[in-house]
Amino acid sequence: MEVHCATETNGNVLMDTMLSSCIEYKHRDSGKEEKDSTEDPDSTKTFCIAKAYSTILSELGENVEREGLLRTPLRAAKAMQFFTKGYQETTQAILKDAIFNENHDEVVLVKDIDLFSLCEHHLVPFIGKAHIAYLPNKKVVGLSKLARIVEIFSRRLQVQERLTKQIATAINEALEPAGVAVVIEAAHMCMVMRGVQKMNAKTVTSVMLGTFQEDPKSREEFLSLTLGKF
Amino acid sequence: MDHSKQTQYGSNEKKDSGDTGSVLNGHFDAMVKRSAGGTVRPAAPQPPGAESGAHRPAASVMECWREERTRSVEDNEMSLPSLAAAYTTILRGLGEDPQRQGLLKTPWRAATAMQFFTKGYQEKIIDVLNDAIFDEDHDEMVIVKDIDMFSMCEHHLVPIFGRVHIGYLPNKRVLGLSKLARIVEIYSRRLQVQERLTKQIAVAITEALQPTGVGVVIEATHMCMVMRGVQKMNSKTVTSTMLGVFREDPKTRDEFLTLIRS
Repeated sequence: MEVHCATETNGNVLMDTMLSSCIEYKHRDSGKEEKDSTEDPDSTKTFCIAKAYSTILSELGENVEREGLLRTPLRAAKAMQFFTKGYQETTQAILKDAIFNENHDEVVLVKDIDLFSLCEHHLVPFIGKAHIAYLPNKKVVGLSKLARIVEIFSRRLQVQERLTKQIATAINEALEPAGVAVVIEAAHMCMVMRGVQKMNAKTVTSVMLGTFQEDPKSREEFLSLTLGKF
Repeated sequence: MDHSKQTQYGSNEKKDSGDTGSVLNGHFDAMVKRSAGGTVRPAAPQPPGAESGAHRPAASVMECWREERTRSVEDNEMSLPSLAAAYTTILRGLGEDPQRQGLLKTPWRAATAMQFFTKGYQEKIIDVLNDAIFDEDHDEMVIVKDIDMFSMCEHHLVPIFGRVHIGYLPNKRVLGLSKLARIVEIYSRRLQVQERLTKQIAVAITEALQPTGVGVVIEATHMCMVMRGVQKMNSKTVTSTMLGVFREDPKTRDEFLTLIRS
């Protein structure tokens, strides 16, 4: 199955001996499971990930046979696949119908977009909000599409800096606006739940392109609209 | 001091001798950690740590506390390669390239992180509480509230975080305050269900102190509900366990609930 990675920086799919041996195991083992005449590559991957989670549970010292954990490997595998569903999505696919010609050249801001991503270093969530603004250049985009762009890039293994840049670049390429600004503030569970354990620390990253980068007044307007309370 | 006297509680908090695992996340006694070349680690009876027998918990409590520990630091080191290999499989299964720079050491980091998130399996209540139970003629409510809590949902392996509020009515014995937070840590750093977590904390305090009553309230956000599934951002789950006079006397319970809200 082809996985579409929307940018080059998130790597390619490789089938290696470990994954292929897991798939082989599944084929060998399929007599014990439901017979499925059409071998679905997605379900094979889910099975392999579930097997890995089963190993993790037993290595952590848990009893994988107890009631609460019986179906946990499968649930955890599906959850993890949901958290990384952005790899299967592309901005072209979601934006194709929602770009309109409009004679508007003032700031358009969509703020407080809830964001959930996974830290690629620890595989632990980071959660926060994204604020996106752009200065249209004859083309505007359906507002929810900005949130969908956030979803595409955040539902991956990410680093907050890269995530911010990918969102800004995607909007820039799709709309060719006069300027784009993206600010993300997030709490990283890898810092809160473990490691340095700072409960209230937030990480803020921003990318300013075009007018927002060159003109301080536009940037100021964006920041005050984002942070202000109305 | 007579420790055989057990305060009667509304619910059956006594564990069956044959099923002590049920309160403790179903852990086996003498669980075999390794099949290949590893050592079987039977849970040896631990002698009471405190010199003075005055604060030694009852034998049945010792039984229960002894069985909490199913993992050691050595186990952690021995498990790391398998855990890292499992995480590498997961990365490939998700369509990522484990060889790219950002992911090179991720399997090891994720494995160590997960061991940290489940470090409650390595810890025993008795180690934490041994020296910090004091005789004090205080019979008014003691509350420690807003204890930050981080746990892992045992169904989806996704974080749960929230706050724990604990109150108890001492019966001649009080506990070092930070020990309440340490009890929360031991039970929360496991694969948990919020209902069970609340009860385990309450039962542990009951067994350690034999107080007149214990109340535990947890309010938490479950990432499995926020990040996936029904995706409700602002939902919170609240669970409580009330034992002893907190359960029987509505005024005491009221006082506790008012004080944790203020």
